[in-house]
Amino acid sequence: MIRTVDVQKEYKGGIRALNGLSIDIEKGEFVFIVGPSGSGKSTFLKLLTKEEEPTAGEVYVAGKNLASLPRWRVPYLRRNVGCVFQDFKLLPNKTVFENVAFGLEVIGRPRAVVQRQVPQILELVGLGEKLDRFPDELSGGEQQRVSIARAFVNRPLILIADEPTGNLDPATSVGIMRLLDRINRTGTTIVMATHDHAIVDSMRRRVIELENGDVVRDQSRGIYGVGT
Amino acid sequence: MRVGYFLGETITNLRRNLLMTIAAISTVAISLLLLGGVQILGMIVNKATLGWESKVEISAFLRDDISDGELQSIQADLASMPEVDDIDYVSQDEAYEEFKQLYPDQPHLYQSITPADLPASVRVKLTDAKYTEEVSARIDGAPGIDEVRFGGDVIRRLLQINALLRTITLAMSLILLVASAGLIANTIRVAIYARREEIGIMKLVGATNWFIRIPFMLEGVFAALVGAAVSGAVVLAANAFLFPPLRDFLPFLRSVFAFSGGEIASVLLVLVGVGAGVGIIGSSLALRRFLEV
Repeated sequence: MIRTVDVQKEYKGGIRALNGLSIDIEKGEFVFIVGPSGSGKSTFLKLLTKEEEPTAGEVYVAGKNLASLPRWRVPYLRRNVGCVFQDFKLLPNKTVFENVAFGLEVIGRPRAVVQRQVPQILELVGLGEKLDRFPDELSGGEQQRVSIARAFVNRPLILIADEPTGNLDPATSVGIMRLLDRINRTGTTIVMATHDHAIVDSMRRRVIELENGDVVRDQSRGIYGVGT
Repeated sequence: MRVGYFLGETITNLRRNLLMTIAAISTVAISLLLLGGVQILGMIVNKATLGWESKVEISAFLRDDISDGELQSIQADLASMPEVDDIDYVSQDEAYEEFKQLYPDQPHLYQSITPADLPASVRVKLTDAKYTEEVSARIDGAPGIDEVRFGGDVIRRLLQINALLRTITLAMSLILLVASAGLIANTIRVAIYARREEIGIMKLVGATNWFIRIPFMLEGVFAALVGAAVSGAVVLAANAFLFPPLRDFLPFLRSVFAFSGGEIASVLLVLVGVGAGVGIIGSSLALRRFLEV
């Protein structure tokens, strides 16, 4: 589903973010990317949606080489890759329903589809009762659920989560992880960057640890790390 | 549904930065109005000079005490010149009749004079207006001739002034058109800035660039078209309310200030076309560098 071959990334000013990463992620996997700040986690995730392009090496997503993907095809790639962020990225002037519907409307889904799928997905993430609330009336965990609903409403093949629990307390984080686990069990590949030891240790999924742009550990059913 | 979405977005955007929108609309309106003015001025100049150039003739006013012999020799002289096309003797009575026809609505004008007050004249039509000075110099001072007059100088100067006016106005309207394209670009940039969060999310979930762009393009074109409509309305208003009194006030320019529906329509068409062009150019300027990721 995701394959990188010796991917390097150097930002302007000579800052090296990735030093030749070769990673294979199968369809349906749940993968944690861990490592200290600046280790290259976010850069790696950005390569998958072609938000950044590698300086060298190749990135394949869903069988396609992103380097040969023309610019106008990038939006269609992103429809297959849902994204969830630490800061939720919800529109404050739209209701829960509208926020999720927005994700469908702007890719041109017909109104009937929007009307059917949005309540369904909000039910799935446990917000079936809060369709008409605005983001600032929700708790952090609820906002993150809305953001996950928006990322998943289009049934993408891959869900990328960049520290989705970074702003949440441990109990709420557990709820979010249960939700991501449910989504993963529908066959969606999940790649999640995190700092959260407890979560990684309790989930016992594949862990890829980055340090200064190199893979220092790739372990199935791993834990966050020894001595950290 | 898509059409509804695009229109809704466009209107919201225009409302959100009303001041910039108004600035853009009025700049477009003013610059287009200047452009329309240039066109109308051009039509006026064309009409005026077309009428005048064919009418360029020399009038040799005769002394009241001219003898038949002197008159005949003047006519013979003129007839022998290759530059002369036609000679016409206008008697005092004929001059009076012409005068009456020139001002039919103002009887007090011709009632206050008699044929004897008007000089007889010989009118000379030339093969080309450029010989005017040469020919009039040749007959000026001949016995029996009081004064030689021609309109050439006035016409030449009029043409020069008109050409200058047209150039200046055209240059001004071009500068203003560039400015209005810039203002439209700026309006759209502000709209994009105000909505960068939404745009970020749209890109995130895979909205195509055109889907994101179209409301902004529409916004620019809409502002420009409203500007064009305003300037068009002013042109129509001038045609309806300004030109008729002008025609009454300046009877000798009656035909010059009369425009057919077709002429007005062509002016309006140019205004709307250029307006739409300015809108599209302004929007593309603003959108060129955004949506790169």
